Amino acid sequence: MGTTAAPLSPGQPHPMNRWTDRLPPLGTLGPLIALLAACVFFATQSDRFLTGGNLSLVLQQVMVVGVIAIGQTLIILTAGIDLSCGMVMALGGIVMTKLATELGLPPALAIACGLGVTTLFGLVNGLLVTRIKLPPFIVTLGTLNIAFAITQLYSGAQTITGLPDALTALGGTFAVGGTEIAWGTLLMLALFALTWFVLRETAAGRHVYAVGNNAEATRLVGIPTQKVLLGVYVIAGLFYGIASLLSVARTGVGDPNAGQTENLDAITAVVLGGTSLFGGRGVVLGTLVGALIVGVFRNGLTLMGVSSIYQVLVTGVLVILAVATDQLSRKGAR
Amino acid sequence: MNAALPTSPAAVARSGARPGNGPAAAAAPQVLMQAKGLVKRYGQVTALDGADFELRAGEILAVIGDNGAGKSSLIKALSGAVVPDAGEIHLDGRPVRFRSPIEARRAGIETVYQDLAVAPAMSIAENLFLGRELRRPGFAGHVLRMLDKKRMLQESSARMQELKVGIRSMTQAVETLSGGQRQCVAVARAAAFARHVVIMDEPTAALGVKEGNMVLELIRRVRDQGLSVVLISHNMPHVFEVADRIHVARLGRRAAVLDPKRISMSDTVAVMTGAMRPDGIPAECLAH
Repeated sequence: MGTTAAPLSPGQPHPMNRWTDRLPPLGTLGPLIALLAACVFFATQSDRFLTGGNLSLVLQQVMVVGVIAIGQTLIILTAGIDLSCGMVMALGGIVMTKLATELGLPPALAIACGLGVTTLFGLVNGLLVTRIKLPPFIVTLGTLNIAFAITQLYSGAQTITGLPDALTALGGTFAVGGTEIAWGTLLMLALFALTWFVLRETAAGRHVYAVGNNAEATRLVGIPTQKVLLGVYVIAGLFYGIASLLSVARTGVGDPNAGQTENLDAITAVVLGGTSLFGGRGVVLGTLVGALIVGVFRNGLTLMGVSSIYQVLVTGVLVILAVATDQLSRKGAR
Repeated sequence: MNAALPTSPAAVARSGARPGNGPAAAAAPQVLMQAKGLVKRYGQVTALDGADFELRAGEILAVIGDNGAGKSSLIKALSGAVVPDAGEIHLDGRPVRFRSPIEARRAGIETVYQDLAVAPAMSIAENLFLGRELRRPGFAGHVLRMLDKKRMLQESSARMQELKVGIRSMTQAVETLSGGQRQCVAVARAAAFARHVVIMDEPTAALGVKEGNMVLELIRRVRDQGLSVVLISHNMPHVFEVADRIHVARLGRRAAVLDPKRISMSDTVAVMTGAMRPDGIPAECLAH
C-alpha cells in the first residue's frame, strides 16, 4: 500500500493564471466605476460640481453616514444587519450635548459618556444576538425604537444649542490650496483606513469574514465565534458614537431628529459598496465608495435643481440595483 | 465488559501479528486510541450502550453501521463533540476526557466534518490556516498583529504538494474549486494540524466517481504520512478500497472488527444489518 503515488488529478480543470488571481473581482471594481460615471455625468451637468469646494462639501456631507457605515459593514460582513445605527447615533449626540450644556460636564467627559451610551447599545444588540440567538434584524428593530424613544424623552424633543467649542471642533476646516477641508472628513478617512487594515491584515479581521462565510465551520476550527460577533456589535456601537460627534460638529447642535436618513443610507452605502448582505464578502473601502455614491447623487441632483424627493427615489433604485447585482453575480459564479 | 470478543486489545496482543504482512506488522500493533464501555443516552434513547473502540497507529479504520447503530455518537465522543455518560477513552496510553472539539484538537485529533468544513469565499491558504494564523515576526506581528500571508501561502503550497493535491494557486477562493478539491482542502487542513488522528465523516459522500477516488487517494497519503485515520462511510466499495480494518457498529456497541481482505462486502453488510450474528462470523474474517 502507499506505493500508488500518482498525482491527484483535479476533477475538473480550473484555468489558473497568476495575475488574473490578483485582480480584484468585478464586485469590488463595480462601485468605483459607478462612482466615476456619476462624477462624469454631474460634471457635464453642472460647472460647479468638480470644484474643490464642492467636492470637499460632498466629503463633509458623507462623513457622518460614512462612519456609521463602517460599523454597519462589520455587522453585515458577519451576515447580520443593524437597523438601529442612525437612532443610536442620534442618542449619542443628545447625550454628549445635553451633558456638556445642562450638566456643564467637561466636553471630554461628555463625549466619553456619549460614546459609552452608543457602545452600550452595541453591547446590548450583540448580547441579544449571541446569547439569546435572536435574529439581528429583529433585535435591532427593537433597539431602533428604544433608542429613538430615549432620544425624544431625554431631549424633550428639543434641539440642544449653545455647545462648547470642543464639541464642534471636528467641523472646523483647514485650507489646502484654497480648498477648505473639514477635520471630520480626515477622521472618517483615517477610520476607514484603520478598519481596512484590521480586516485585511489581522487574524481578528479575517475571523469576521470567516464567521460571515460559515459560522459553524469557523466555530469547529476553534475560533470563538460568539466573541467575534459580540466584538463586532460593540465596535459598531463605538463607531456610531464617533458619528454622533461628527454629526454634532457638522450641525453645531444636538438634534433629536438626527440619524433618520443616515439609518438607511448607511445600509445603502454598504450594499452599494459591494458588501454582500449574505455575509462574508466585501471590502470596507467599497463602503466608502458606496457612501460617496450616495453623497455624489444627493449633491449632483441638488446642483441640477432636482427636488430632494427625487434624490430619495434615486437612492432607492440604486440599492435595488446593487443587491440585484450581488445576487446575480453569485448565481453566475455557481 | 466485552473481554470475550476476540478483538479486545488483550486478545489482539495474545494472538500476535498477522503472518506475511510485511515488517511493519510483525511487531504487536501499537494501539493509538482506545475507548471502553462508552455509554451515551439522549433521554429515553440509548445511542451508545457500552461501545468499545480501538485505533492503531498508522492505519485507516473504517467505521460502518446502519442508521441508529451508534456510529455517529461514537465518532462524536471521540472528537469531543459529545461527552459520554460513562466509559473511558485513552489516547496514546493516557486517559483523556474531551469536553469540546477544541480540546480534542489540542490533543492532536482533527475532524473533517461533512459539508461544513470550509469558508467558501476565503482563499485556500486562509482556509488551511483558519484559527491558526501565522503572524509576522517583530513589530508588525506583535504590535500591529499583522498576518504573515506570504509564509502561509508558501506553507500551504508545500503542504498541498506533499499531499499531491493538484491545486496550484493558494490565493484562489475555495468556492471556485470543484467538490472533490474542496474536500481535499478540508482533509489537507486536518492532516496538516493533526498530531495523532484524523476523523473523516463521509468525506466521499456527494462526490462523483473520479472526485471520490481523488479523495480516497488523499486519505491513503495521510495514512502513509504516519497519521491514523478514522473513516466513517456508507460507501462499501470505498471502505473496502482504503480501509485496513472495519469497525462495525450495531445497537450502540461494537459488533465486530473485520478484515476487508478476507471478508466479502455482502457478509460485511450482513454483520452490519444483523443478518449475520457476530459469533457466526468465520474467525479468519475478523481483523486481528
